[in-house]
Amino acid sequence: MSDAISVTGLVKAFGGTRALDGLDLVVGTGEVHGFLGPNGAGKSTTIRVLLGMLRADAGTARLLGGDPWADATELHRRLAYVPGDVTLWPHLSGGEVIDLLGRLRGGLDEGRRAELLERFDLDPRKKCRTYSKGNRQKVALIAALASDAELLILDEPTSGLDPLMEEVFRETVREGRRGGHRTVLLSSHILAEVETLCDRVTIIKDGRTVESGTLAGLRHLTRTSIQADLAAPPRGLADLPGVHGLRAEGERVWFDVDTDAMDTVLRRLTEAGVRGLISRPPTLEELFLRHYDRTGASGGRHVGAAR
Amino acid sequence: MTALTGTGPLVRLALRRERAIAPWWILLIVALGLAMVAYVNRNMGTDELKLTYIDIIRSNAFLQGLGGASVEPRLDVLATWRSGGFLYVASAFAAVMSVVRHTRREEDAGRSELVRSAVVSRQAQLTAAVLVAAGISLTAGLCTAVALIGAGLQPLGSFAYGAAVAAAGWVFAGLAAVAAQAARNARSATAIGLAALAAGHVMRYVADASGQQWPKYLSPIGWGHLVRPYQDERWWMLGVSIAAGAVLLAVAYRLLARRDLGAGLFPERLGRARAPELRGPISLAWRLHRSLLAKWAAGVAFFAAAAAGLSPLARDLLSRPSLVVDNIRSLLGMSGTLGAYSWYLILILAYAVALYPVLMILRLRAEETSGRAEAVQATPMTRLRWAAGHLVVTGLGTAALMAVAGLVFGTLYSLLAGDLTTDLPRFFAGALATVPAAWCVGAVCVLAYGLLPRACAAVSWTAWALTAALGQVAGPLYGQWGGSPLEPFHYVPNVFTATPADILPIAALLAVTAALLGGGLLCLRHRDFH
Ligand SMILES: Nc1ncnc2c1ncn2[C@@H]1O[C@H](COP(=O)(O)OP(=O)(O)OP(=O)(O)O)[C@@H](O)[C@H]1O
Ligand SMILES: [Mg+2]
Repeated sequence: MSDAISVTGLVKAFGGTRALDGLDLVVGTGEVHGFLGPNGAGKSTTIRVLLGMLRADAGTARLLGGDPWADATELHRRLAYVPGDVTLWPHLSGGEVIDLLGRLRGGLDEGRRAELLERFDLDPRKKCRTYSKGNRQKVALIAALASDAELLILDEPTSGLDPLMEEVFRETVREGRRGGHRTVLLSSHILAEVETLCDRVTIIKDGRTVESGTLAGLRHLTRTSIQADLAAPPRGLADLPGVHGLRAEGERVWFDVDTDAMDTVLRRLTEAGVRGLISRPPTLEELFLRHYDRTGASGGRHVGAAR
Repeated sequence: MTALTGTGPLVRLALRRERAIAPWWILLIVALGLAMVAYVNRNMGTDELKLTYIDIIRSNAFLQGLGGASVEPRLDVLATWRSGGFLYVASAFAAVMSVVRHTRREEDAGRSELVRSAVVSRQAQLTAAVLVAAGISLTAGLCTAVALIGAGLQPLGSFAYGAAVAAAGWVFAGLAAVAAQAARNARSATAIGLAALAAGHVMRYVADASGQQWPKYLSPIGWGHLVRPYQDERWWMLGVSIAAGAVLLAVAYRLLARRDLGAGLFPERLGRARAPELRGPISLAWRLHRSLLAKWAAGVAFFAAAAAGLSPLARDLLSRPSLVVDNIRSLLGMSGTLGAYSWYLILILAYAVALYPVLMILRLRAEETSGRAEAVQATPMTRLRWAAGHLVVTGLGTAALMAVAGLVFGTLYSLLAGDLTTDLPRFFAGALATVPAAWCVGAVCVLAYGLLPRACAAVSWTAWALTAALGQVAGPLYGQWGGSPLEPFHYVPNVFTATPADILPIAALLAVTAALLGGGLLCLRHRDFH
């Protein structure tokens, strides 16, 4: 099966700022793909390039087999988009906007529209000026989800939604994919959302891709925190590859270890004689924090542990 | 798939949003066309009066500027002449606003992003905007033609007139389309469009006033006059407008096809990292609105220089016997000096500058509706201090603009036709003396802002439009010699005739202004903020 989105070496500069600097992104057809990165990393910019609203300076981007800039209109027939910052026409009602956007996309499913209005608990008669932030977000979400687009591009779609509505959103996305071959590109800062919904994720930073893969694969890349009580003071532990932030107090050691070095390190520990062992499994959060941190390769808790 | 995809629904959306705006423009244009006919019928009912009037026009450059020297003593010609091209200007104005509203303003608001993510071609929004703007101009032109025929004017000429009105809208729709692509945001796009409109009008006016025809052929507003409805209907001039609009539109599409959404021709520059001086309501207002003031100052200086540059011409006119000059002299109580006559030009600038406080109050309202003021209000800064900061900048800015007008005009006038030691101080003082009247117009807007925030824009524009229309400048041209006592500039002392001790009217104006301001601020303090 071909990829729904494939982007290589994408570059986009705004005057002096390089918003995208050789970004790669591959989203397979039918998958829900998490798109993560710190603020200003270039997620929205990438999405705007994919929508043909910005023209890339270099690199290639393919979307549903077409060129996002040249074939924009044709491609938009097959996708639906929810921007992160939803602004609507102040004097139109929510229902009017949903119909308008639906019509612009080439029609929407009436039954589905009614069902989504019900589930998202939105009054379509209110003027957009009077909607709360979350309700404005719902208008855009309903308009997108009520279409039968094969690709959904969602830029922080749940910002402003309450937890109940967020759950409704997750359900709708899950149902949507069960139905067929719907691909979803989901940019988000909510890790729980990404963990429950996404098959694969791409993490970008400063306009470059720093990590991409399945969640299980990524977990693999993270470090396990270990606290061990040993029979004798450890020797040579610090020199082992994959050990980070070692700290020792008598016979007790704390350190983080890369998953692929785990085997060797544990062997070295048992050689010294293990009396007690606490290992904390890697969390995605730590992985993200490590990548999000601007200061360097290791971050968050790892920095703390290194003291 | 074509470049038109999605245009249909977008046209409908634009029409839906124009529902509350376009009809007023159309009504204004038609009403003005009819009002001119009524005016000529009332004031120049007989052929004899018409002939007298034509003589008056021929001997006066200001009146010639109104609609050209080639008038004939007929109702239809006089009525079109009398409108001074206002129908063309109004139609062009509406077109600029409408095109920018449906293109760049949508982009700035972030709604274009939503719209263009649908099955909508890149060109569709621009196409829809231009179609709607052109449709409005066309409707206005057609309604004018029909109304004038209904009023008994000759059909062929009426259709030529209506077509010229529509064509002016079309050219400026094209111009606004280009501006919407090139500018950094909607505000600048509107400013570019309206500046071009003002320049077009001034070029046309100067051409007719001076008798030099070539600037008229360069001005899109001039093309409307050159159609010469009811005279010899030069239809081919319409072709010029249509072609120019089409070329501009082609340029706009070119730019659009190469442009990122939300970007202008030039990339956004970096700003400063710190703002040490930004600490109170006044410095905030100054930071937000200083560029508007700078643009106004440049515009005022330009027009003051242009007006002063005409003073040798005015001197020539004064040396000829003229009924109108005598009328203006006697009715405004002026002495026969050239300086007294030039005072008229300072007043024109003053009426224009009175628009500045109006725009500033509208900006105050925009700060509120956009939610930006909310962020400021959440700090210890009270609502009154926030508003007062804007008002201080507005008040001083208005005074500064008139000072610029007086200095530039006074200096150039003195060098060209007067005496630096006496005329410059007089013009400067005279220009400053108009400031309380301009403040008073702004104060009406403040009251509207405090009392009727939703209607603030409508009331504010009306207040300014009425002031200008009933004023001493438009007044003499439209037969209301001396203007109406209902507008504040009526009480501005003429520095060339009034005795310097005549301070009472100014004090009264200041008192009224203070009362209006106080009322407005009081209402603002007690109403909901949204
Ligand atoms: N129109 C623009 N002009 C100048 N710089 C821009 C423009 N749009 C984006 N940028 C810059 O490009 C970079 C990437 O921005 P982008 O909006 O893609 O970030 P993001 O990953 O979506 O961030 P967030 O998580 O905050 O939404 C930022 O540094 C931003 O300042
Ligand atoms: Mg973003």
